This record gives sequence, structure tokens and C-alpha cells, in this order.
Amino acid sequence: MSATVQFAAIVRKDLIRELRTREVLVSVFLFVMLSLVVFHYAFASEESDLTFFTGGMLWVTFLFGALLGLNRSFAQEKDEGCLDGLLLCPVDRVTIFLAKTAANLVLLLAIQVVAVPVFTLFFVERSYVGDLPLLVLVVLLADLGICALGTLLATISMNSRARDLLLPVLFLPLIVPVLIAATSATTAVFAGDTGLGELAGRLVFLAAFDAVFLVAAYGTYDFAIGE
Amino acid sequence: MEASQVGLERAAPGAAGWRRLIGAPALFAYAGAALVAGLLLAFWYAPVDASSMGFSQKIFYYHAPIAETALVAFGVAFVAGILYLRSGDLRYDRLGMVAVRLGLLFSLLVMGTGMIWGKAAWGAWWAWEPRLTTFLIACLLYAGYFVLRSMVDEESRRASYAAVLAIVAFIDVPITFFATRFLPEGLHPVVIRAGGSGMEGSMLLSFLVSMLGMTLLLVAMIRLEYAAELLKDEIDDLKTTLWEVGQ
Amino acid sequence: MTDLQVGHTQPEIEVEGLRKTFGRREVLRGVSFALERGGFLAVFGPNGAGKTTMLRVLATLLTPGSGSVRVAGHDVREDPMPVRRAVGLISHGPLLYPDLTAYENLRFYADMYGVEDREARIDELLDRLELSHRRYDVVRAFSRGMRQRLAIARAVLHRPRVLLLDEPHEGLDPRAVDILDGLLAEIRADHTFVMVTHHIGKGLELASRVMIVDAGRVVYEHAAGVDAEAFGAVYREHVQEGSAL
Repeated sequence: MSATVQFAAIVRKDLIRELRTREVLVSVFLFVMLSLVVFHYAFASEESDLTFFTGGMLWVTFLFGALLGLNRSFAQEKDEGCLDGLLLCPVDRVTIFLAKTAANLVLLLAIQVVAVPVFTLFFVERSYVGDLPLLVLVVLLADLGICALGTLLATISMNSRARDLLLPVLFLPLIVPVLIAATSATTAVFAGDTGLGELAGRLVFLAAFDAVFLVAAYGTYDFAIGE
Repeated sequence: MEASQVGLERAAPGAAGWRRLIGAPALFAYAGAALVAGLLLAFWYAPVDASSMGFSQKIFYYHAPIAETALVAFGVAFVAGILYLRSGDLRYDRLGMVAVRLGLLFSLLVMGTGMIWGKAAWGAWWAWEPRLTTFLIACLLYAGYFVLRSMVDEESRRASYAAVLAIVAFIDVPITFFATRFLPEGLHPVVIRAGGSGMEGSMLLSFLVSMLGMTLLLVAMIRLEYAAELLKDEIDDLKTTLWEVGQ
Repeated sequence: MTDLQVGHTQPEIEVEGLRKTFGRREVLRGVSFALERGGFLAVFGPNGAGKTTMLRVLATLLTPGSGSVRVAGHDVREDPMPVRRAVGLISHGPLLYPDLTAYENLRFYADMYGVEDREARIDELLDRLELSHRRYDVVRAFSRGMRQRLAIARAVLHRPRVLLLDEPHEGLDPRAVDILDGLLAEIRADHTFVMVTHHIGKGLELASRVMIVDAGRVVYEHAAGVDAEAFGAVYREHVQEGSAL
């Protein structure tokens, strides 16, 4: 009954559930695609070179998509009363947190794997294949921050009234640093001015953000989930 | 939870003399004195700023202390949050809530004074530069704190969640500030540089006096509001008891 | 604490002055009782008396407001993990994931509890609860009775020493009732039970001790031994006017 086995059990359970119902995957994916279309029309004008907006558009889309997904996945747990079943188990609450964060991360990445190429097709002119590893790193680090913070806050808001409204209200101000760093790093890759020094700074910042909030969640998650 | 425990005493005969020195009324008096002194110093003692901002720079003597005070308030909420989670004592929750409320108020004032200064110094009411932006986000974040509180019915749960948010939010504010510096450098003159305050003696004195006054004001307001919250709780308890007895 | 000697007299469940408040509402106002190992406690009382809350505290789903609660030799507040390993709960909701199959549900809980002979144990229980033919069916498609049966499997999967049951016969079809009663009889020896129920007959049949809870307090607690009719009178005597059974 090691924590690793429990961690894997929770992740597996969440992923099986999602693969079977595809509730979150499909709706969030559609939302993301539709957002891209909306962005095109929202910014359409004579001089439609949106290159310097690309990072922003991408991350705004992912942030709102993540919010939708987080809301749904916790709503399921709570509405079906399954949370009690989980809490009855002799499992460290932090293990639950890490497992849920990991599961959310996998789902977010699954959507991004399709969304980023489509986005590139619609909005990016430069071929950035050479810089792909950098982009992947940016996405991973930003996603980790989004999922860690999102999971912590979703746990709180799932037990509150109007949970769909509460989560964005709490999440968006807190995630601004990630938004700033990820946006500028992504735009740099898409626009082709990957000054390595600056980009490295963004990456370190994202990694630091992730570390800080993982520690914060580690310390407070017991109180977020228990009674 | 006696009223006397929180220093809210009238000058009752026999009240311990030293307690009165740090009770809320006394603190307000000190704060008032310091702020008035600061005002006088700022306008009559400190020289007019040599840079382009000239006279309008004097708003700095309020703007920066208010900003610092807001952060202190959020820091108090942070500590109160931790203490609540460790002890489960609802009084820490009350303290945290009062601190956030005051922090929010002061943050709004920061933005207000910041905007006035901005208009006077640069001609624009708003600029997306690090400090203003960070305080804007802090306002939104801590407003969310109250939204959260209103959405949880059960008291100890509400206190737990609020504590978690207060902790997470306080960590996030400096991080946000650093992040905003990733963006193109703003127009905001940096006051405290590494290696000295960059202000000459008389300016420094005015600044520090104002700072002291503002902080004392915060402490006084916290004491007052905290005591008020505890009294509210006592009243609620009495109401409940009366209701039960009547059953 | 470990079982040091055979025949030690440490009660399996020890509750002392348990109080629990939700906001400003005091739901449990000083509950105290003890149950020896192998005992079966039937708990009766009107709705809203705090019975479910008490059970949830024993299961570590809620922390006691004040007072001490020890289950299987461990304090629920200081040391909840061993308590969780030792306790199984059958409650109102089945605590099952509707979009997972019966097998996947049990496998999940088996992993969470660290059940060593996982596959064998799952097979055994599905068999015992007559659900083997639905092993790979998604729980959403189950009838209420089948869900309750699977919930029973989930509750006993990790061989808990203490079983907490919250109105377990509610909504079960007669076949399921038989299966449940059979199972309870089978593991009766050497297991400790606390059962909240409205079924005076069932409760008295199984119990070694009987308790009535009203408005957050224990108003009656005694060894079992009266028949249903006599108990009805006892109940009416101890519970306030206007509380329904």
C-alpha cells in the first residue's frame, strides 16, 4: 500500500473514467478550437499580422479551457459522492493532490498536442521546428503550474456554492505570473526571436513558480479537502 | 473572548494604566499625530523634488506608505491563516478577515493615489506598470477572498478555505510583481534602490514618519475591527443560547 | 497500540464526550459509549439526531469537535490512518464510480487499501455477492440493489475489523437483504459492528448492545435482550414528543 501504488491507482481511475466518458476531453477540445476561430474574427483587420499576439491567444485559450476542465472533473467526484470513498482510504491527502494534478496534466497535454499544431496552422508563419524542444518545455512548465494551482483551488471551490463561478474568480488572479511568463516565452518562439538568455529567464521563473506552489499546496491541501 | 482581552476598554476606573496606552483609542491618537506630523514635514520641511515631477512628487509620502501598509495587512492575514489552520481557533479567522478587508481598502487607496500621481507626473491616468498592476491584481484576488467566504455556508470550512487562500494569495503577490517586471520597463520611478534609499535626509525623515503613522493607523484599525468582530460573535452566541432556552 | 495479550480488555470503540458543531449548530452534544471487540451495537433514533454524524466521525470522515474517539486502539484525530485501515463503511451512497466497471471499482479500492491478494479477493467477493456475471459492466447500468451489493463488497474488501453501517437494509431487494444478512452472520465473530437503523426487528436480532440517540445525546444504552414490542415502548419513553421513528 505504498503511496506510489495509490498515486497510480487514482491517476488510472481518473483517466479511465475520462476516456470512457470523454466528457472533459471533447468539450474542452471543442472550446479550444472555437476560441481560435473567435480570435481570428475578433482581431481581423487590414493588417492582420497577429504574430506578436500569438503567445497571448494560445495561453488565454488554454487557461479558460483548463478552467472548464477542472470544474467538470471535480464536479463529478463531488456529485457522485465518491469523494467520501476516497477520503475513507488510508491515503495521504497530499498523494490525492499529486495524483489529481497529474491526471489533469495528462488531459491538458492531450488537448494541447492537437491544439498547438492547429494553432500553428492558423496563426503562425514561421517554422519553429528547430525550437520545438523549447516550446515543449515552456508548455510543460506552464501546465504544471496551471494544474497544481488549479487542482488546489478546484478542491476548495468544489465544496462551495456557485463553484463554476468561484473557480475562475480565484484562479485567474493567481495564475497571472504564469500567463505573463508563458505568453512572452511562447511569442518569442513563434516570432523567432528566441534570445536564449531571456527565454531561459522565463523558464526558470516558471519552474520556480511551480516549485513554490507545489510546496504551498503540500502544506495546505489537508485543509482544502478534509473536514 | 472578553472585550477587555482585545484592548477595547473605555477608560473605566481602575482599568490597568498601561493597557490604555496600547488600546485602540490610544493607537488612533498616535497614528493621527504621526500622520499630521508627516503631512507637515512633507509639505513644509522636505524640499520640492528636483526631478521633473516637482510638487506632485509629494504624494509619494502617502502613496508608498499606503502601499507598504496594504502589504503588511496581507501579511497579517497570511500569518492569521497559518495560525488558524494549526489551531482551529476561529478568532484567527476573524483577524484574517479584518486584515484582508483593510488590505483591500488600502490597496484601493494605493491605486487611487497612484493614478493621481500618474496623471500629475506623466499625464496619463493609467499605465500598465509593475506596481499599479500588481496592486490591481491584489485587489481582484482579495476581492475573490470575500466571494469565497460568501459561498461557503459552514463556518469552520469557510475559515479553512479562507485561510488557504490568504496563504496562497500572499505568496503570489510578490511573484506577480516580479513577473510584471518581465514586461517592458514602466514609467514608475524606483524609490528604494539597492544600496540606499536614494532620498536625501529631510525627505527620508518625512517619508519614515508618514510610514510610521500609516502603519500605526493600520494597527489601530485592525484592533478596532477585530474587537468588533469578536463582539458580533458574542452577540450571535447569546442569540443562539436564548433561542435554545426558549425552545 | 498492538494486541499484546490474548483476552486484553481494551474496547474496540471508545467514545468519550464527543461533541461536534457545524457552524453554530451543535449536532453532537457529548456522546459517550464503549463497545468491546466482537460487539454489535444497534443505534436508533429520530432523523437529525446525529447518528450519521457520529458514524462519520468513527469513520474519520469528520474530525471530532471535542472529546476523544478511539477506534481499534487508535485516536481518530491523532492517528487516522490505522483507523481507516481497520474500518469499513456502508453508507447512504454506494461510494462507487458510476463510469467504472465493477471490477475497476474494486480494483481501485484494493490498490488504495493495499489488499495483497487483490485478484483472488475481488473474485471471491463478486462471487459471494452474486455479481460475477456483471464484473465488466459499468456501475451506471446497475440496479439499486446491485449497487448496494457492490458497495458491500467495497466495504469489506480490505477485511476491516470494524464495520460501520448506515441504514444498510434501506432500498435493498429481498435477495440482497438475504445476502447481506448472510454475510454479516458469516463475519459476525471477531468483527465489531455499529449499525444505524430504523428497522427495530433487524437491529434487535443482530445486536449485542442497543443505543438510542436523540438530539445529539445518548438517551439510552443497554445490552440487547428485549423483544421488539418492549423495545418500542422503551423508545417512546426516551425520545421526545414529535420525533418519528
